[in-house]
Amino acid sequence: MTFNLRLIPLLPFAGAAILMLFGRKWKRDTVLLVAAGAIAGSCLVAFDAFFTALPGAASKGGLHDVVGTWMAAGSLKIDLALRLDALSGLLCLIITFVGFLIHIYSSGYMEHDPDYARFFAYLNLFCGAMLVLVLGDSLPVMFIGWEGVGLCSYLLIGFWYTSSANADAGKKAFITNRIGDLGFLIGMFLLYQFTGSLNIPEITAAASGGGALMQTLFPGTIFAAPVAFWAALFLFIGATGKSAQIPLYVWLPDAMAGPTPVSALIHAATMVTAGVYMVARMHAVYLLTPGAMAIVACVGALTALFAAIIGFAQNDFKKVLAYSTISQLGFMFAGVGTANFGAGVFHLFTHAFFKAGLFLCAGSVMHAMGGSGDITIMGGLRKKVPWTHGVFLVCWLAICGVPFFSGFFSKDSIIAGAFGTEIFGEGLAFIGKAVGVVLMLAALGTAFYMSRLYFLVFSGSETRASDEIKRHIHESPGAMVGPLVVLAVGAALGGFIGLPGGLFDHPEWNLLADRLAPVLGPEMELSRTTEIGFMVASVVLALGGIGLAYLFYGGGYREPSRKFAAAAPRFVRLVQDKFRIDELYGLLIIRPIKRLAKAVYFVVDRILIDKVLVEGSAALVDVLARVARAVQGGDVQRYMAVFTIGAAGIVYLATRPSVPDVLKVTVSGLSVDVDARRGSKPASRVQEYSFDFDDDGKPEVTGAAPAAHHAYPRAGTYTVRVQVKDPNWGTRTSLKQKVEVR
Amino acid sequence: MNAGGATVVDQVVFWVLAVLTTFFAGFTITRRNPVTAVMSLVATFFCLAGIYASLSAHFLAVIQVLVYAGAIMVLFIFVIMILNREEVAPFSMRPLRLLGVLGGIYLLAKLVDVVAVGLPEAAPGVAPDGFGTVAAIGEVLFRDFLFPFEAISVLLLVAIVGGVVVSRSHQKEVAAVEAADYRHQIQELAHHDYPGEPEAPAEGHH
Amino acid sequence: MPTTYYLVLSFVLFLIGTAGVLLRRNALIALMGIELQLNGGNLAMLAFSRELGDLKGHVFAFFIIALAAAEAAVGLAILVALFRGRQTVNLDEATLMKR
Repeated sequence: MTFNLRLIPLLPFAGAAILMLFGRKWKRDTVLLVAAGAIAGSCLVAFDAFFTALPGAASKGGLHDVVGTWMAAGSLKIDLALRLDALSGLLCLIITFVGFLIHIYSSGYMEHDPDYARFFAYLNLFCGAMLVLVLGDSLPVMFIGWEGVGLCSYLLIGFWYTSSANADAGKKAFITNRIGDLGFLIGMFLLYQFTGSLNIPEITAAASGGGALMQTLFPGTIFAAPVAFWAALFLFIGATGKSAQIPLYVWLPDAMAGPTPVSALIHAATMVTAGVYMVARMHAVYLLTPGAMAIVACVGALTALFAAIIGFAQNDFKKVLAYSTISQLGFMFAGVGTANFGAGVFHLFTHAFFKAGLFLCAGSVMHAMGGSGDITIMGGLRKKVPWTHGVFLVCWLAICGVPFFSGFFSKDSIIAGAFGTEIFGEGLAFIGKAVGVVLMLAALGTAFYMSRLYFLVFSGSETRASDEIKRHIHESPGAMVGPLVVLAVGAALGGFIGLPGGLFDHPEWNLLADRLAPVLGPEMELSRTTEIGFMVASVVLALGGIGLAYLFYGGGYREPSRKFAAAAPRFVRLVQDKFRIDELYGLLIIRPIKRLAKAVYFVVDRILIDKVLVEGSAALVDVLARVARAVQGGDVQRYMAVFTIGAAGIVYLATRPSVPDVLKVTVSGLSVDVDARRGSKPASRVQEYSFDFDDDGKPEVTGAAPAAHHAYPRAGTYTVRVQVKDPNWGTRTSLKQKVEVR
Repeated sequence: MNAGGATVVDQVVFWVLAVLTTFFAGFTITRRNPVTAVMSLVATFFCLAGIYASLSAHFLAVIQVLVYAGAIMVLFIFVIMILNREEVAPFSMRPLRLLGVLGGIYLLAKLVDVVAVGLPEAAPGVAPDGFGTVAAIGEVLFRDFLFPFEAISVLLLVAIVGGVVVSRSHQKEVAAVEAADYRHQIQELAHHDYPGEPEAPAEGHH
Repeated sequence: MPTTYYLVLSFVLFLIGTAGVLLRRNALIALMGIELQLNGGNLAMLAFSRELGDLKGHVFAFFIIALAAAEAAVGLAILVALFRGRQTVNLDEATLMKR
């Protein structure tokens, strides 16, 4: 069913364009109106599409809108088409709604920034690109959005570009993303090669139909596996770049150098979830290869745990949240990796609310603390920034998985789904269980580090900062607090749309899974006891984590934390340095590349191009010119005259008939043989010979033969005249010779 | 006479245009005043364009007028405006050059011989459909002669650069040489210190 | 019209051009003679192309026109530079390159 879906990304794009062209001269209010208005418009269209138009079209593949043909080359035809079904619709809602809230928040946060209009232009551009990513009906269109959000991420992380640290962070994000994008492209190429199409519904159909994607690539080698496996794997590599999983997560903590609203929107709620979205979108391909899914799930689970551990020792507010994001994304990937696509998307949804809320609280707190995010100097802020504290409290409880906040339901469905998944078959069922166990540890860790953050920042009675800073602590303006509250509400109540069906024997109460079912398949069925068991386990983990953190950090740094830090200082520092992974990459990858680049510069650029090609060709021309100059006399017309004379001479020489200097005459009695060849070889051209043996003007013999024979009737002296004609050039020469006959 | 299937109109057109072309061409090389010479050259080109059209080379006829008569001759006129000097003794009848002209006449005679003898009845038939139109030439140009086409654009680039370089005033020439020297100096300084940071150049601004 | 006639015309044009180049002192007129020569060549090209029905001749003529444009531009630039130096376009006096 067609619907005007193009408005959804088009409004933010238009907003971005207008702001980039005119924004700088406008008042702040106008800029906000345009930007927030664009995204709000987009939100309204998305709501309309999702709630009124989609239900009727859900079974027929959702709403779609074909803007035009992008390229048609041979058998490849890619349309610029958008499709809104339950999955993309849900994400559109998240992007536009959370995006709108963050626009409002930014009007307060960026109030004193001189580049106000540019910021909103980039925000709008980002939203537009993300919407294209989500709504794209074919992989290339999705890739446009994929690249677009990468670009906007770069622009926004390095927003305050005058500091080289910010610019470097932006570069790092873009380059790491790019590496992942290569994987995405290869996956795309594989899918096109083996299904002949890049259109997502067609690929899904081809995958479900089996066959095409199950052919073995690289048979006979160690890499033999079905096409679907390789395609899924490469696509997942793209996802690890965009969604910050091992090994390409290193850009996300650095990306905290950007303004906090950017971190909230891009690195919490939307862009980083693109990878999860992509896997869910391509679920048909993934379902064909349990192997690839196992990789996805394991990477996700490991990342979740790894990032959680790093989060234990970070001292920057936003860095803790960054690692928390990486960890939660790991949860999402573990969810989709265990064929629990609905659960992964559910966690994506709840995470958008509580993580955005957490980040915006961070911005609020940093605003209060005069721009510093150092939690070692915070504390006791609970009374000083009450609204922020309230929102943070709600979001904190949500992310820890305290019942009945949203995170509780979503995390639980992932963990339960991991244990109960059947995708790996009988022999490898342990993978699911292993993933589940790791996730549980990660959940424990999540509760711990988030609680540590809460206690160190908000609890306690006094702030550890200097007096100067303490004097300036104030609650944020309404523009910033308003969106915070909305997000907190979402974080608190959002979980109820995804009530697990098994719990109440009413699967239809799981609104989210119900809606997503036409796209992602039915919700995983788990018995009531399993559900309750996992819920209890989740609660235990959550409370355990909070309790442990309280022990260490309740009200400030307490004895156990100091003792631990003293007992294992090297370990603490290792964790604080994020396990020195960045340094490892630098050593293994970046330094060799830099050395290679220097070598190439020296050999190719300086020697080959500068010396050999440029200076060399100039020197060559110089030498040749010197030689040529020796022949010149200076008078141009003389050259031309010589040329003409020379040409005439050559033409003359070439066209005169080939005649001997002297006729060869052989006399025998009364007859005579005349040979008119030049030398002993025949002429190289066809010539006409006419022999006049008695010089009376009437040739006796004419023809192409160079020799003639004649018998004279009487002895005497005759003059033989031979005329040679070149029929092509029209030239003739004549020779004569006296001959005596006896 | 009806040579090679041409109609009377064709013949009249050809002969009129041929005579006019020759006449104007002769005019061009014998005028003292360069402006008159240019004008008669333009007339020559117009007549030639007519001949091209009669040869079904429609595209080239238009190009002849546009580029030759329109652009190149305008260029000539601009230059004449700068350099207008009438010659006192326009013709330079030095012996070598006269010899050259004679050689040219000999060439002409020889070549007339050839064509008269060799190809007397070579009359073109009916032109294929679309012969000489833009579309047809475009197809051949961009399919078979794509590389020469690109090479010609390089040639035009060379002409532009050459024109700019040649027509530099003495001052600009000197300034250009100095600027090149300066850049060379800076490069040398920079390379000496590689791989570290390059030194600040000797002079203030660049 | 038989191709021969066009060929003869093109030869005549070429000859007139050559005579112009050889016999005129004014450099500009000499350049015009060169243009005449090129046009003679063009005419021959097109005559043959018409006879054989092959469009390659047209393409070649097109290139020749482009070439003539480039050459005229550079030649005139050289002329202008020459004029600036010696205030004359008399070719007889432009023999600086003589060793």
